[in-house]
Amino acid sequence: MDIKQAYLDAAFPREGPKKRRGPSLAARAARQPNLQVVVICAILALMQILAMNGMVFSSPFITALGSTLIYSIVSIGFCLLLGYSGLASLGTAGFIGLGAYSAYYVVEGLGAPYILALLVTLAVSIVIGVSVGFISLRIEGIYLAIMTLGLAEIIRNLLMAIKPTIKIDLNSVRLFGVGVNDKAVFLLIVLTFAVLMVLTGNLIRSPVGRSMLAMKNSTSAAQAMGVSLMKYRLLAFVITTIYASIGGLLYMMYIRNVTTATSTLLTLTTSLNILGAVIIGGSKSLWGTTVGAFIIYGLQSMFLSKLEFFKNNPAFITMVTGLLIILVVMFYPGGIAQMVSNLRLWLRRRRYERRLRDYV
Amino acid sequence: MFANFLSTICGSLLSVCVTALAAFAVTLIFRTSTTTNFAQGSISAFGCYVVAELLNKHGIPVWIGVFVGVAVGVLIGLFIDLVIFRNGRSVNAVGKQIITMGIVSLFFGGIPLVFGTPERIPFEPFYNFVKARTDANVTLQAFGGRISITKHALICLAITIVVLSVLFVLLKYSKWGLGVRATASNEFTAELMGIDTRVITAASWSIAGALGVLAAVMYAGGGTTISPSYMTTIQVNAFLAGILGGFSTFYGPVIGAVLIPVAASCVGFLANFGLYNISRWQMVIVYVLMLIVILIKPAGLFGKRTLKKV
Repeated sequence: MDIKQAYLDAAFPREGPKKRRGPSLAARAARQPNLQVVVICAILALMQILAMNGMVFSSPFITALGSTLIYSIVSIGFCLLLGYSGLASLGTAGFIGLGAYSAYYVVEGLGAPYILALLVTLAVSIVIGVSVGFISLRIEGIYLAIMTLGLAEIIRNLLMAIKPTIKIDLNSVRLFGVGVNDKAVFLLIVLTFAVLMVLTGNLIRSPVGRSMLAMKNSTSAAQAMGVSLMKYRLLAFVITTIYASIGGLLYMMYIRNVTTATSTLLTLTTSLNILGAVIIGGSKSLWGTTVGAFIIYGLQSMFLSKLEFFKNNPAFITMVTGLLIILVVMFYPGGIAQMVSNLRLWLRRRRYERRLRDYV
Repeated sequence: MFANFLSTICGSLLSVCVTALAAFAVTLIFRTSTTTNFAQGSISAFGCYVVAELLNKHGIPVWIGVFVGVAVGVLIGLFIDLVIFRNGRSVNAVGKQIITMGIVSLFFGGIPLVFGTPERIPFEPFYNFVKARTDANVTLQAFGGRISITKHALICLAITIVVLSVLFVLLKYSKWGLGVRATASNEFTAELMGIDTRVITAASWSIAGALGVLAAVMYAGGGTTISPSYMTTIQVNAFLAGILGGFSTFYGPVIGAVLIPVAASCVGFLANFGLYNISRWQMVIVYVLMLIVILIKPAGLFGKRTLKKV
């Protein structure tokens, strides 16, 4: 018997008398990216509902989860910029601040409903996004990153000069015509996360996403293929700015007060953390990015702070996060996403090997 | 009036010195390791904590304390290069930035751990030391008015000028400087030409650490307390100075570092013309001006535009 053929048959079984069926319905459903989002967000919403009835999850845990989700929203926007358009920005914190301040002025200052705050935030972020996009046409790479850092500093100093402390009273917020409490805001965050996740996923798989990817890999080649650099760079920055300012808006609704002078929300730290979340998660994977945001923000507030050891030495939490960041970037430059795909490959190889052994 | 103006400018002398040192350190690392070192501020802060600890608790003479602090800065720089960056050579530029951000977290966590939880610690011994020797301001009679400068700022200016001149001479004439310039222009080619780029980067990191600690001690000498993040503003300004002057030369960022605080105090001086609230908007105006300059000259004031090949 031809031993090579035997191995090949074992590794890649052909249609035999036992007809192989395709993946089952459940397996196919699990591969639907939009369905994944819906299921996971349903689970998140369920967690809040359980916690409301005093079951399983404590309310500080849910609060931590909510703010982590807000940072995840910002991160997936940034993922589109860094992973798909190849542009680095350190201005995220400034954009979050814009969202937070416009939420404050519209909701608290004008007493307008939430939806108007959303519209105003969108308008402001489109203007800012377009202008950063134009800057990015002239300046590239690390220079662009530091330039956006300068822009974030401008925004921070500006907001600080306008009003150092902003505070929202949730009783005055009206969401779709009804008053809300922070539990409803959590559900709103989950809903926003789901919607943005589905939208981003679809955008990535659309011609727009492909053009952005082409632009990332080589600007010259992309231009030669007829991809307009200006259009897609502006678009990328507008989308990132919108996501970041929606994050700021939700932050304002959920945490409800920001002291610009002392809080790190508007400083370089936040921009770097978001960048870190995207890199750790794997810059081209949305779920990876979400996991990255959970590692940087959630790990600390949701899990480590519960352990006795870390409760006594809170300084260690920061160190563990830092160490984790360094180790992941050094040994897995592709991030968590690469780790998962390596694991998947390893499992598949093991499956083939087992099949081979059974055959021989 | 002109004397007043000069006085205002002299008020920014300390930030000029500190930012110039930080900007040189950032540029050195940017050119040799192709990363923006976000940990520059926290390394400096850590070194300054060491100095404060030695002076506050052990009563060690100031000059020895500062020397030990600078040595700690050198060791931290060496450690970061040897342990982290030498093993992470395949990491891309953004990844390296994230690594330096991880180092920031390590220091922010480490400082309270090593030096105790009250995060803002007094830096009085050094302050008093400076004050005892520099209690009087230097006052000049010129331009029909009095120009006063603190002696602390003058001492810092002298130190900065000496240190930076030595470094620039070394860069231009020493073998190490030649190596740095070669590595900066192309690391791979430099290696082929027989330059041990590992030594070059290690030396650059340790010099950057030392400069950082020196800058931090000088800056802390002007105030009374230090906290883990008190160098962050200086660091951000150093980065901005880098792109204002252009990272492609070594002197560009230093000149940028002189320009930013001076411009800030010039804007602040407008308060004398009836714009009383301008100090609140000072940094906004300076950054916007800087943004405009960079938009006009994307490679920086002294930068050379690099041509991209397909």
